[in-house]
Amino acid sequence: MFKSAGSVERLVNQLARLPGIGRNTRLAFHILKLSKEEAFELADAIHEVKEKVGFCSVCNNISETDPCQTCSDPSRQQDIICVVEDSSDAAAIDKAEGFKGLFHVLDGRLSPLDGIGPDDLKIKSLLERIKNNNISEIIIATNPNVEGEATAIYLSRLLKPMGVKVTRIARGLPVGSDLEYADAVTLTRALEGRQDI
Amino acid sequence: MYLKSIKISNFRNFTSLRTDFYPRTNVFFGQNGSGKTNLLEAIFVLCLGRSHRSASDAIIINQDANFYRIEGEIVKKSEGVQSLSVAFEKGGRKKITLNKVPLKVAELYKNFSAVIVNPEDSNIISGPPSVRRTFIDIYLAQYSQDYLRTLVDYQKILAQKNAALKKEIDPTPFSELLIEYGVSIMIKRIEFLEEIKDATSGYYHQISGGDDLCFQYKPSVNFNEGMVSKNDIKEAFESCLAKNREREKIVKTSLVGPHRDELYFSINNLPAREFGSQGEWRTAALSLKMAVYHLLRRKRKLNPLLLLDEIFAELDQKRAESLMQSFDNLGQLFLTTAVKPPEFLKRDSRNYQIEKGKIIDII
Ligand SMILES: [Zn+2]
Repeated sequence: MFKSAGSVERLVNQLARLPGIGRNTRLAFHILKLSKEEAFELADAIHEVKEKVGFCSVCNNISETDPCQTCSDPSRQQDIICVVEDSSDAAAIDKAEGFKGLFHVLDGRLSPLDGIGPDDLKIKSLLERIKNNNISEIIIATNPNVEGEATAIYLSRLLKPMGVKVTRIARGLPVGSDLEYADAVTLTRALEGRQDI
Repeated sequence: MYLKSIKISNFRNFTSLRTDFYPRTNVFFGQNGSGKTNLLEAIFVLCLGRSHRSASDAIIINQDANFYRIEGEIVKKSEGVQSLSVAFEKGGRKKITLNKVPLKVAELYKNFSAVIVNPEDSNIISGPPSVRRTFIDIYLAQYSQDYLRTLVDYQKILAQKNAALKKEIDPTPFSELLIEYGVSIMIKRIEFLEEIKDATSGYYHQISGGDDLCFQYKPSVNFNEGMVSKNDIKEAFESCLAKNREREKIVKTSLVGPHRDELYFSINNLPAREFGSQGEWRTAALSLKMAVYHLLRRKRKLNPLLLLDEIFAELDQKRAESLMQSFDNLGQLFLTTAVKPPEFLKRDSRNYQIEKGKIIDII
């Protein structure tokens, strides 16, 4: 491990804050090897995204506008909401084009080991949307792992008494893999094959 | 399947060792502390990615080194010769490869199979309940990938539920999952124990010269024996959890589920844990492992490697010979002995004399 450059160390530390990277010096060196223009373009993109992109006050998805494009698109089905853990999951389902309704981003999943309980998820705003907007169906598309399943169970127990139809994305998804990595066809099929829970 | 050769680096008292094996019986003989048991352990780690003696990989590294590596060539009828390696470096993660391609531990269980019998096995009868559960898990997972997957998820669910109880987060969704996964674990365990029940009693009867060994599955969820439909078990689980809900909140841990399962042994109708002798425990464990070996042969349609550590200490010549005869024409066998290998072992076998972590002679 090098000890010389404090600024390189700073870059490694900053990259280590991102999920799935850790203290990856190779990535830092890769950035070092970029031309000045390329590197500044990257820094600029990060800067711009933080200036422009915020969260939709309706569905909690990331967006440059508020409400977001999806929430303000009248051609989408207005009475059906697909509930996902993160914005990246919503993007994956949207890309699959099997789904034409609205989204709701929970901003996480139940995980007591990480100190995350129901109060830490955007559930209250989901309940408001169901109450105020004549929602007829909720599709729960949390990830097919232990935490995602627990979140789905919690939500369905909470939502069913409200008289809304609750379905769970079918389990055709590869076990243990997260939604983000499932291919478009799998996702489309899974959404078509959703089941009542 | 059989192990054609092995190469060991920095594992226990071996700094470096390379040898070929015989496709049938291989006898390691040498004094206590020579390393013959460590050689069996290395073969087990190569096949299943973990030690049967120690949960920690750091402990099995040679004291002068900071990593161990075990490589081997395994021959299977279907796949031919495959090269397998298991390596661990202090502070790092275990690395397993098959034909140079990284492999997960679960895939080792799918590809290979090994049964080990050793002196510490008496703990299966006399030790704490976790030893009995580990025994079931290691061997059941060798023929059911489904069980292994369910077990891994069950442990995640359990950890989440316990965290919820400690942090006063609503544990209900995790309790529901615990029931779903717990029920399939219990069903698989019932089937497994049913499969080895008669054979275990049979071997014990044969080796002990007429004594009776029985065991009974005692899950933490009470249900009547014989009443084992999936729904019955689920209902019993639910009501048992409901009864314990308040207590779980107080003690802040999960009190009900297969992580608390028990297995009771009795010899001639007396509880073996209280009334059995060390010798009886070892014979009981040997009978269990023999039954498991034959179950795995049947389920996997291959011969698991059979590793027998110091089993002749318990057996007189006649019983030892009849036991060995029951392995004639089966798979590959590795056994250790402190004394010179008995005459009856000499047919169809290769003998390795081991001293201070080295093979000094092959006969
Ligand atoms: Zn929106």
